[in-house]
Amino acid sequence: MAGRWLRHGSWQQVILLSGRCGLWLPGAGKGESSRHCSGSASLQKTEADPGVTEEEIVVPRKKTWDKLAVLQTLASTINRDPTAAHYMFQDDPYLIPRNYFEARLFSLSKESGKNAAKYIVNEFPRFFERDIAEPHIPCLMPENLAPQIEEVSEAALKERIQLRRVKASVDMFDQLLQAGTPLSLETSNRLLDLLCFYGDREPTREDQSEHKEELEVSEAEAPDQRKRKGRSRKTSDFIGPKWRENNNAERIFNLMPERNAHSYCTMIRGMVKHGACVRAHDTYTDLLNDRHTADVYTFNALILAVPEVKENYIERWELVEDLLKHMVQQKVQPNVLTFNAVLKTLRKCGGMGKSISLKILREMKALKIEPSLATFELLLAIFSKFGSMEIIYEVMDEIEGKTFVARDPDDGNFFVSAMRVCLNLKDVELAYRLHKVLETGDNWKLIGDAQQQSLYCAKFFTLLCMMEQLDVVLKWYKELVPSLFYPNAQVMWDLLQALDTANHLEMVPQIWKEIKPLGLTNRPELLEEVLALMAREIHPQETQMSFANCAADIKSIFETRERNQVPLVWTASALGNIAILFSRVGRIREAWNMLELFKKNNRVPSDKVMNEVLTCTKQSNAPDQAVELVKLAAAFTLPTTAKLARRVIEEFELSEEQKKALKDADPQSSDSSDSDSD
Amino acid sequence: PLPGAVWFGLAPPSPLCGRSLAHSKMAAPLWGRGLTAAPWTRGAFSWFLPCRRAIQTTAVCHKNRAARVRVGKGDKPVTYEQAHPPHYIAHRKGWLSLHTSNLDGEGGAAECTVEDVFIRKFIYGTFHGCLANEIVLKRRANVLVVCAVFLQRLPPYKFYFLVGYTETLLSFLYKCPVRLEVQTLPERVIYKYL
Repeated sequence: MAGRWLRHGSWQQVILLSGRCGLWLPGAGKGESSRHCSGSASLQKTEADPGVTEEEIVVPRKKTWDKLAVLQTLASTINRDPTAAHYMFQDDPYLIPRNYFEARLFSLSKESGKNAAKYIVNEFPRFFERDIAEPHIPCLMPENLAPQIEEVSEAALKERIQLRRVKASVDMFDQLLQAGTPLSLETSNRLLDLLCFYGDREPTREDQSEHKEELEVSEAEAPDQRKRKGRSRKTSDFIGPKWRENNNAERIFNLMPERNAHSYCTMIRGMVKHGACVRAHDTYTDLLNDRHTADVYTFNALILAVPEVKENYIERWELVEDLLKHMVQQKVQPNVLTFNAVLKTLRKCGGMGKSISLKILREMKALKIEPSLATFELLLAIFSKFGSMEIIYEVMDEIEGKTFVARDPDDGNFFVSAMRVCLNLKDVELAYRLHKVLETGDNWKLIGDAQQQSLYCAKFFTLLCMMEQLDVVLKWYKELVPSLFYPNAQVMWDLLQALDTANHLEMVPQIWKEIKPLGLTNRPELLEEVLALMAREIHPQETQMSFANCAADIKSIFETRERNQVPLVWTASALGNIAILFSRVGRIREAWNMLELFKKNNRVPSDKVMNEVLTCTKQSNAPDQAVELVKLAAAFTLPTTAKLARRVIEEFELSEEQKKALKDADPQSSDSSDSDSD
Repeated sequence: PLPGAVWFGLAPPSPLCGRSLAHSKMAAPLWGRGLTAAPWTRGAFSWFLPCRRAIQTTAVCHKNRAARVRVGKGDKPVTYEQAHPPHYIAHRKGWLSLHTSNLDGEGGAAECTVEDVFIRKFIYGTFHGCLANEIVLKRRANVLVVCAVFLQRLPPYKFYFLVGYTETLLSFLYKCPVRLEVQTLPERVIYKYL
């Protein structure tokens, strides 16, 4: 009876009757209307006053939520799991990538699987047309990629433009022109848009191979590229296809009976995108002659094109100023991309960039345009090129605590450049502040692509290794690896140096366990560094045991090479260090094997190696092995052969023939004068 | 109890009505035709009569063969899933296909089942030779989660290719998000040998 809170009407009765119940329900004593409490302050106040009659109930306005609001709220409650790999990978030890190469390989294979499925769906659409989804999901239906309308008409042209078929639409346009049908200005403009965007080439589709196109393009561009001086351009896919003289876009542009501002603007933007900057400026002059006004994107493109047009720094800046004055005359409002374009050009204007860029920033503030991350990145670039990197402190003060959205395609470069500046300044506090900015809100989305993210993390970690204590370094290591980046050989080297500085060399085998799955074992310098650090000093016995196991591991790596890989070459230091490590724990058999390997690989052991092995032989009390050792030293014609021989005679109990063998082996023992020279 | 008796002339009534019908191969009551001078006593079964033709007139009750692996010589490896017959579902086994269509008032059970069969065959063929066990299909809200345990017969990048392919193709086919959750094993886990 006490537990039955069934009906709302029986609230009061139940509370009165069953006083024994232990539950205290909030607001239960206030009566029935507390169930309807909507939480608004006014209503609660009316309830709190006893004896107040029913006042006007203020119903709060209904709040409309975004469709994704619930998901976004749930997502904000979860932090990143530092022990997990990226969520696109399956959570299984066999399928989790262990280094950067594998991560890229797996994500690309998954993507190519998706492309294969899309290909099948688009090739055989009849199997996928049964629409059972309610409401209809257009992105899960097969795409219709072939143009439907066959006859020569403007609608057919529009369809081909819609499907992004460059060649087909140009052909259709020519056919229409021959047939004499007039085309509307809008359609012609759309055709120009298509041609200028793709630079008169077909857009690369997934089912076409991109190789063929790149080969053609690179041949055509080789002579042009030699004309450009100073800039180290990579292959064609870096700058995009080039604008050929009198290509289809220009031809159609000239054939158009009437052109409006949009046509000129598209042409200019297309030319700048594909590298024909001088022609772009000429077209702009034509536009001015025709008394049209350009739009803000055209001006952005023109400003970006200025460094190609003029060579002298001062002329460049004057041209930019000219363009900005035209903008004012034509009453075109600049946006953040305009200012970023100006800064990009200023980057190539030499020393005068510094003062002018600050003026640009003040203009932006005056026009109430929020600077984007690309603006800051360009500022950093301009200032750090000319020596004064301290501007980063002011930049950090600006951006701390703010969340950014992507407004410029170059926003992704900011974090990497900023971390590079931090590394150059060797300022850890600044790096922490930068990392905090990265973690505010949604800023992590602006980290750039996977390569930039791993560069950022690598620089951050290198800075930490240089400047921070070891436990902080290890904490950050656990935080960043493997969820955010996979360390490369340089990072591991820095980590080993940090261990060395902190005098915690006993952790080297643990770091070795991290190095192995990362696939860094084909870097001989890393392996040698590990061995050298272990072999340098004598450590307590259990550390030595772990060192010896680690050394055995490294030895097996040197020996077993998989096919397709160049076998690692043994170096004297590597062999020597391994021999030392084995002999320090008393593994005499293996130490002896190492000495034999010296001979096989034509390397000469150092004195330290021989002494250590001798000490080990002494422990295992094998005098004939000691004699063998001296003979070996003599074979290598080591200068310490005499010393070794003496040591053997002193420390071991030798039989007569062994002593004789020693004397024979050592060529210098007969010369008493030279026996002390080393 | 004489079910649907057909009298052929002098055929006697079934002498077996009293016996249990458990081992029915031997015990199916037969209505014979062409019996001559058979005794009409109950309990007699005329074995010795030649040229008998018989029709099955009662319900056939064969042995259950569903989802059971018959006991052999002891060399047949069998997983936990295969070793337990279906009457152990909800006692020692779970379900392989989880959806709410079988609840009261919910529809779509048949479509779900047909989809499940297709998906099982699809994955069996796509990841040929790599399946360690039956697939578990879970339907949650709009999403279809396919949980599969594979053997490590392919290098991981091939697995990812097939996973991306399967997810996309099944999404397009069933117009709902399909997610594949994969676990891998080095070898099949053998429960016992039958």
